[in-house]
Amino acid sequence: MLPLPGGASHLFLRAAAAAAIGGLSALDRKGALQLMLSRPIVLAPLLGYCLGDAEGGLVLGIPLELLFLGGVNLGGSLPDNESLLAGALTAMVVPAGIAAGTGVDHAIAALGLALLLPLGLLGRRLERASESRNSQLMDEALARAERGDASAARVNLRGLVLPFAAAAAICAIGVMASPLLALLRLKCRPTELSALEGGWHAVWAVAAACAIRAIRDPRAPTLAAICAASVVVITLAIRGWP
Amino acid sequence: MAVIPAAAMNAPARRVSRATLARVFWRSLFLQAAWNPRGMQNLGFADAIAPALEELYPDPAERAKATARHLEFFNCHPYLAAAILGGAVRLEERVAQGEATPQAVSSFKSALGPPFAALGDGFFWLALRPAAALAAAATEPLLGLGCVFVFLALYNTVHIAARIWLFSVGYVRAEGVVESVARAHMASGTPLLKACGAALAGALAARGVLAAGEPMRPYHALLVASMIVIAWGTLPRLGATRAVYLALLLGLALGARLF
Repeated sequence: MLPLPGGASHLFLRAAAAAAIGGLSALDRKGALQLMLSRPIVLAPLLGYCLGDAEGGLVLGIPLELLFLGGVNLGGSLPDNESLLAGALTAMVVPAGIAAGTGVDHAIAALGLALLLPLGLLGRRLERASESRNSQLMDEALARAERGDASAARVNLRGLVLPFAAAAAICAIGVMASPLLALLRLKCRPTELSALEGGWHAVWAVAAACAIRAIRDPRAPTLAAICAASVVVITLAIRGWP
Repeated sequence: MAVIPAAAMNAPARRVSRATLARVFWRSLFLQAAWNPRGMQNLGFADAIAPALEELYPDPAERAKATARHLEFFNCHPYLAAAILGGAVRLEERVAQGEATPQAVSSFKSALGPPFAALGDGFFWLALRPAAALAAAATEPLLGLGCVFVFLALYNTVHIAARIWLFSVGYVRAEGVVESVARAHMASGTPLLKACGAALAGALAARGVLAAGEPMRPYHALLVASMIVIAWGTLPRLGATRAVYLALLLGLALGARLF
């Protein structure tokens, strides 16, 4: 029996909310405003709040933000789509944590990330497809301008449709799949939970390394190492050495 | 140098209204809505400047020609593009007045696009955004969800102010915007932001190490610290996705105590 607190109707409502927020974040990411509402550190807790667990969203959002800190859209090059991954992961993990009664713990977060990490790459491909469609919009605008249509460039906003639709659909599917993740989490034995906990710490390690790499400065590794060592020493001095 | 016809010299100066400038600025926030690999931001630019062209060229045929001009290739950092957009509006006023040629607008856009792109990428994407995100992540243990507002406030205070200022200065000074942007010393803030970012990244790495060592598991902490160093060294070859999967596997194995 799949865990479905609130029933199917509640799940559909959550899917609709996730679709709306996921879709809007896809617009903010590149096509509109760019207020950084699509960054994982904002999107995950925001979507988590709408789905019932903002802090759970933050558990996911911070390591994702660090993992993709260095992903930059320079000219024609595209980074992995961290917003799509953050949206879908939060959409799946937060309801799953609520359904399982565990909240977003390390085990469920690691499970969700292992399943959905390739979405970052898929998102990049979807973005390329959207860009190809936008080339057609450009051709349409040029043709209309040549015919003397003064409002030819208004087709610009139609470029927002595909990213919105794709992200909305994927986030909605994430919510709909959350009962399966909840079931998987509930079936984990203590050894498996310990393994997943270890996996999540390992993800944090890679995320920290990605964050240091994201600072494109030759002094960055040295500064990071000095600061890390200082924080560890000071913390242990305050707490007491093991 | 363009020859100014006598009729143009006597005609009242054509200026875009403030309301129209506000509309142009609002539309500039959608500059990349239809980004495409051939024209890049051309559609967004043409759409953004459209309200100004509507006011400057009452004749639809003239307006369509002006629109077609702005459908040429254009690419820049989306925030710094506001300066070029403002400048292009001012230059279009001169073109409508007969005081400049349409080529002047195209030259202005193509000359400033690449250097402003480099400036914007280096400051906003590679310095301010990482530093703001790292500051927020580092304050999460103290502020909890409030850290999200730390990120948004740190980033958008600079971002929105910069966009408004760049657009205004571009409109007021047109070609002189280069000097104004140079005097803003955006590039000089970048090394400090990066240094802060690096220190915060180190603090977050320490947080991960300490969390893994709780409670009373120093070897776990050492393992995570080693993983950070190895991941840092191998990331350029592996990429983030593969590195995460490898780390997950290793973490799963160690967590399950298979070794």
